[in-house]
Amino acid sequence: MSETRKTVIECKHVSKTFYSMAGDNLVVSDLNFNVYENEFVVLFGPGQCGKSTILNLISGLESPTGGEIVVSGEKVSGPSPKRGMVYQTTNLFMWYTVMQNVEFGPKMQGVPKKIRRERAQKYIDLVGLNGFENQFPVKLSGGMQQRVGIARAYANEPELICMDEPFGHLDAQTRYLMEEEVERISNTARRTVVFVTNNAEEAIYLADRIILLHNCPTSVHKEYTVDLPRPRDYTSPEFLALREQITADMDNTL
Amino acid sequence: MKIKLKEMGNSLFFSLIGIAAILILWTLGVKFTSVGLLLPTPLEVLQRMAYTFSNAIGRELTLPMHLAVSLRRVVIGFSLASVCGVVLGIAMGRFRMVEAVCKPLFELVRPIPSVAWIPLAIVWFGIGETAKTFIIFMAGFVNIVVNTYAGAKQVDENMLGVAYMLGANEIQAFFHVVIPSCVPYIFAGMQVGLSTCWMAVLAAEMVSSTEGIGWTITAGQENGDMTQIFVGIIAIAVVGLLLAVLMRWAERVLCRWRVRGK
Ligand SMILES: Nc1ncnc2c1ncn2[C@@H]1O[C@H](COP(=O)(O)OP(=O)(O)O)[C@@H](O)[C@H]1O
Ligand SMILES: [Mg+2]
Repeated sequence: MSETRKTVIECKHVSKTFYSMAGDNLVVSDLNFNVYENEFVVLFGPGQCGKSTILNLISGLESPTGGEIVVSGEKVSGPSPKRGMVYQTTNLFMWYTVMQNVEFGPKMQGVPKKIRRERAQKYIDLVGLNGFENQFPVKLSGGMQQRVGIARAYANEPELICMDEPFGHLDAQTRYLMEEEVERISNTARRTVVFVTNNAEEAIYLADRIILLHNCPTSVHKEYTVDLPRPRDYTSPEFLALREQITADMDNTL
Repeated sequence: MKIKLKEMGNSLFFSLIGIAAILILWTLGVKFTSVGLLLPTPLEVLQRMAYTFSNAIGRELTLPMHLAVSLRRVVIGFSLASVCGVVLGIAMGRFRMVEAVCKPLFELVRPIPSVAWIPLAIVWFGIGETAKTFIIFMAGFVNIVVNTYAGAKQVDENMLGVAYMLGANEIQAFFHVVIPSCVPYIFAGMQVGLSTCWMAVLAAEMVSSTEGIGWTITAGQENGDMTQIFVGIIAIAVVGLLLAVLMRWAERVLCRWRVRGK
């Protein structure tokens, strides 16, 4: 399928070392993978293996010390609104309402008020926050705050959205709910998504393709294409088998 | 909600009891002991206050006019202090260079009470309005700078990253991230600043002035007019309280986003 689809991300021999007085820390080493248009790719690996670092490299917040990352034909050289990010902690603008948070990106880029309001409203409705437009984030629960973060990333209509363990801080119940939400959202508003998690279930539930990462220094250990029908059933034999396999493979990365 | 109302009613009730008790003790003390040689009764103070609402204290100004004179001075000094304080405080918090130069200066200036500037102000600016503006300015400025600086230092760098990722440029990030997250700190500084400005105007007027609420107290002292002194003190207290309430209300409106409850 990759022949016919546009390549959105190309990671070519990417490495990243953090230099410090205490010693150099090689976190990413010879990382190679591609992500194709409208694909939902999950980067899966143990904690502290460098997943956030990879997303920071893709988003341009950090620059690689070796190799290069090309997004839609352009070499990444800094943050860009073309690449959206949903964070582990909510990182909302606490002083702005839900609406003001969601319309922030378009507003910064000078999209006229009427158009950006409509667009923001569309994504607020999509994440199920209709009626909360004028609330401040402090009054929302953790799950609702994450929805605002997702709507904010989508409302900028980037070509690529990175999500860094967005549900890591949520309780199990809310987490399942949010996974369903993301499934529904990405069906409705198709985007290229790179989703980071250390939860195998979450990875299998959401991914078109899972990239299993080595522990530090990080590179690609193994890939899985998941073509179970959606929405996926956590308890189906295929789901459980894949989960078992991935968990076993993950143990080999440590 | 019901319980809350009841609690509020209770605390209001008790503070009224406190005030009433003092007024009664005061009246009894004045009527039946030698304290009466030193103090007017509360009723006399109240009557004088009502009288001076339409009759001049001193040559021509009534009580509200004297208050207006003082308030005008405070508004000028405090506004200047706010603008300069916020600008300098943010510059100190965001630029290493400014911080390195100014921070030690402020550590030095901070403990100086505003009345200490009075002699200097008179030598520099004479006894006119400029000297008073300077004293009031100094009273508010230091507080506002120190608080704004603290606010600018705590700005979450991650949030700046978020703004850049969403397409903001440096200037937009400044106005949409740095400034809003400083606002609560700026307000804390302005609240303290306004009350120190209000104290400073009185001090400035008591030293050199021919009008203003501070002057009415000094004039009362010179004429041995106890009642006038009390009228001045109470007017100061009431206006000071109103200013504090005004600031708190403004803060509630501008910092609504921090309120967790309903
Ligand atoms: N800015 C940085 N400076 C130095 N070391 C860093 C920095 N960011 C991450 N690291 C190191 O990189 C490793 C991987 O971190 P991270 O990418 O956050 O892992 P993950 O997201 O998979 O938990 C950690 O050991 C961490 O100490
Ligand atoms: Mg991480």
